[in-house]
Amino acid sequence: MVRAHDIDLDTSAPLLEVRDLRVHFVTDRGTVKAVDGVSWMVGEGETLAIVGESGSGKSVSAMTILGLIQSPPAVFPTGDIMLRGRSLMKMPEKQQRRLRGKEIAMIFQDPLTALNPVFRIGDQIAEMVRTHQKVSRAVARRRALDLLGEVGIPNPPVRLNQYPHEFSGGMRQRAMIAMALANDPQVLLADEPTTALDVTVQAQIMALLEKLQQDRNTAIVLITHDLGVVASHADRINVMYAGRIVETGSTDEIFYQPRHAYTFGLLSSLARMDHRRQERLTPIKGVPPSLANVPKGCPFHPRCRFATDECVAAVPPLEPVAGAGHLAACVHSDRVGMANDERLAL
Amino acid sequence: MTTPPDPADLRFPAESMLTEPVMGEQIPVDDEVTARPGKRRSNSQFRDIWLRYRRNKLAVVGLVVVILLIVTALLAPFITPYDPREQNLLNAIEPPSAEHWFGTDVLGRDLFSMLLYGLQLALLVGVLTMLGSLLIGVTMGAIAGYLGRAWDGVLMRITDIFLAFPYLIGALVIVRSLDPGRTKGVGPVIVALVILGWTTTARLMRGQVLALRESEYVEAARSIGASSTRIVVRHLLPNAIAPVLVYAFTSIGVAVVAMASLSFLGVGVSIDTPEWGQMISQGFRNFGVPNTSFLWVFPSIAIIITTLAFAFVSDGLRDSLDPKLR
Amino acid sequence: MGKFIVRRLAQAVLVIIAAMLLLFLALFTLGDPFATSGDKAVPPETQAALRAKFGLDKPVPVQFLVYLKNMFTGDLGIDFDQRRPVAEMLAAALPYTLRLAAVAIVLDILIGVVSGVIAAVWRYSFADVLVTILTTLAIGVPTFVIGLTLRKYLSGELFFPAVPRSAFGPEPFWLAEVLLPAITLAIVDAAFIARLMRGSMLEVMRADYIRTARAKGLSERKVIGKHVMRNSIIPVVTYVGIGIGVLLGGALITETIFQYQGVGYLLYKAILSNNNPVIMAVCAFAVIVFVLLSLLVDILYAFLDPRIRLS
Repeated sequence: MVRAHDIDLDTSAPLLEVRDLRVHFVTDRGTVKAVDGVSWMVGEGETLAIVGESGSGKSVSAMTILGLIQSPPAVFPTGDIMLRGRSLMKMPEKQQRRLRGKEIAMIFQDPLTALNPVFRIGDQIAEMVRTHQKVSRAVARRRALDLLGEVGIPNPPVRLNQYPHEFSGGMRQRAMIAMALANDPQVLLADEPTTALDVTVQAQIMALLEKLQQDRNTAIVLITHDLGVVASHADRINVMYAGRIVETGSTDEIFYQPRHAYTFGLLSSLARMDHRRQERLTPIKGVPPSLANVPKGCPFHPRCRFATDECVAAVPPLEPVAGAGHLAACVHSDRVGMANDERLAL
Repeated sequence: MTTPPDPADLRFPAESMLTEPVMGEQIPVDDEVTARPGKRRSNSQFRDIWLRYRRNKLAVVGLVVVILLIVTALLAPFITPYDPREQNLLNAIEPPSAEHWFGTDVLGRDLFSMLLYGLQLALLVGVLTMLGSLLIGVTMGAIAGYLGRAWDGVLMRITDIFLAFPYLIGALVIVRSLDPGRTKGVGPVIVALVILGWTTTARLMRGQVLALRESEYVEAARSIGASSTRIVVRHLLPNAIAPVLVYAFTSIGVAVVAMASLSFLGVGVSIDTPEWGQMISQGFRNFGVPNTSFLWVFPSIAIIITTLAFAFVSDGLRDSLDPKLR
Repeated sequence: MGKFIVRRLAQAVLVIIAAMLLLFLALFTLGDPFATSGDKAVPPETQAALRAKFGLDKPVPVQFLVYLKNMFTGDLGIDFDQRRPVAEMLAAALPYTLRLAAVAIVLDILIGVVSGVIAAVWRYSFADVLVTILTTLAIGVPTFVIGLTLRKYLSGELFFPAVPRSAFGPEPFWLAEVLLPAITLAIVDAAFIARLMRGSMLEVMRADYIRTARAKGLSERKVIGKHVMRNSIIPVVTYVGIGIGVLLGGALITETIFQYQGVGYLLYKAILSNNNPVIMAVCAFAVIVFVLLSLLVDILYAFLDPRIRLS
């Protein structure tokens, strides 16, 4: 039996690296390019946020990392995913499965539907433990008990024997987190972890994730459409649009010096608490494009207020803008920068 | 949608202009669907339903067969030269021949004619049962679902009692009680099938109305002061009816089989009536006689074709009326 | 949970009593058994005498209460035909029906669940298409057609004993006797179960919690065998339970076709001879069994789906 530690992982290599990943779905209506040439990496203890509207390809990237995208219908024309230097995409399914839930774990948007309604919470967590560790039922159960306590669920011995529907939304997400962290994974993929929750609970969950991350030095890939969640918790941000990364940089860079028109649009539509007087929020006009029919050139140009003919000509590449590691795929990054300065000066 | 236009639309351009505003195409789909789902289905909605229906090949086949069956039943007197009731004991249990395509039965009646008139009867009973169950079931279900409380309690208890009877047992008890003289007409059979059939329709309807009652567009209608009757008729019925209609179509086939079963057991219609179950029962009684299989095989095939056709149609309806049900 | 069971039990008892009352009214009051032959065949004085003898001249509520009282003491009346105690006739037929129901249910579950699972897991495969076609046919073909066909073409001296067996001949081996009727019953029910299982599994397989199970690193066998199965079996259990309820009440058509000496055939013979006490007893038995099985299914459902338990 191959256990996760048998798989030869290079501890000096980057923790998780995505290289030029493309995930396409072949359908009757044409090829849907859900992810179309995406590269990023995340290191220990780091939080990488992937931000974008629904349909921008962020969830599909996460599911691909876990190897949960069915092929067919999906195809992977290019790209690779490396965990500590080992290619996940070239790994046989059986080995991949040993990493799934062990080294890479995931929490989902809606904790009610993501937990199996007919099994007790404790059993679902214990199952996670026993899938990857050779321990007895009793040990797995004790581990589940400890985990429930660790994620701040009051009265764990009782809660252990309850079913998901007996938990409140926030408690369910805590249980989900307990399950994901049961095997101390190196990478935690969090797909919209707070979207289905009340605002007050959202903050608690994010604080919990941050605390657990500090205890374990886990890398977190935080997938969200909500810039507000990202601002206080992410180290780096990838902004995705129509299957591509259009801008990447540190959280400060993205928030204070956006260089892509889309990022700028997102920030302009966000209410700012630090602002002295009321400003008008400017929504981005239009809707995200269908991934089966992405506009030519820069995919954002039909909705962009900076767009010129140049934007239609070719897909702009990700290029360095101000600061190391700050890249944007925008022809008009300078004009965006100036517009941003104006906005901040208000 | 990039489907080629329906020939019907090309034929009546004036009519579609009257019912559909020219700007219709430019209104985002969402508005139409979410804002006024209770509105009467417009022409384009019917076309959508038909387009979805057409995708299910079996359903199309079923529809064609159902139409053929109806036409055949209506034209029965013109198709066959024989009176299905005319007995000729000298010519009983004759195997199929040029004269009697499907042979003759124990009383010397022409089997083919009996099959055709049996089809008439089957469709009549099926449709009447469906309509009766639909009428009572939808009314009771809507009342119980919308008014709730005592109404609901009473209805649920009544349906509980009727649902306590296994279908066939319930049917035969009702038929016997309605027909103490054993005249074995069709009336008691239809009444029995309606009595047993409406409960399921009512429960379906009640469930739908209960779910829809709390929906936002009904709240909206209530908030602008619409009356209960108006809410039920204009908003709830059109939206709740899809699964009920699907069930209704399935129940035609169920009724056809149920009548045949009753006759087979000697409870349904009398031997004088050309009826499929009765015919099969005759074949069964002559099981030991060699070369008499045609007595029950032909009516069996007739029942199979009818039930399958209606089953396919209701399958197609389910997929096309409400894609979510799939 | 206990409160839930008690409440449902009370409900079931009320439903049974109401249904029995309806049965009684339908068979003995509306369908007056002594009026059927007309006044000419049975003179009114004789009719009255017969009614008095069988207690049918008393007010209906009294009749019904007497019937209920007798029923609890195991007295189901005397049959009109040969003056045998109805309870004995029912007791004699019951083992046959139990055997038939047991074999049919086992076949149902084996064939239905297995083919449903195969069709769902290998969706769009040849097996799936085959299952869809076969189930469509099986559901579209009425039971009596299946039964007649099987009896005509399969029952022989060798494989399945030719029915009907002689009343004086040796008792045939029970399994041989039960097999053809059981297969007849199982064909339709297994088709329903297969469809239900397939649909239910396909729905569950789309659920978020199945994605979670995969994300845990569980093997596909565990994902399907544990997480998908445990959820998708719930509607199937309901259907099977109701199905058992119907079968135990006597498979009317099938038992008649194979002249199988169960409760259903007893009812058929009683119908032919207008033997109302037997009809009443068998129908009451069928209703009671059916209602109790439905109750059991409800309880089982609550046990299988924890979400139900609270409400």
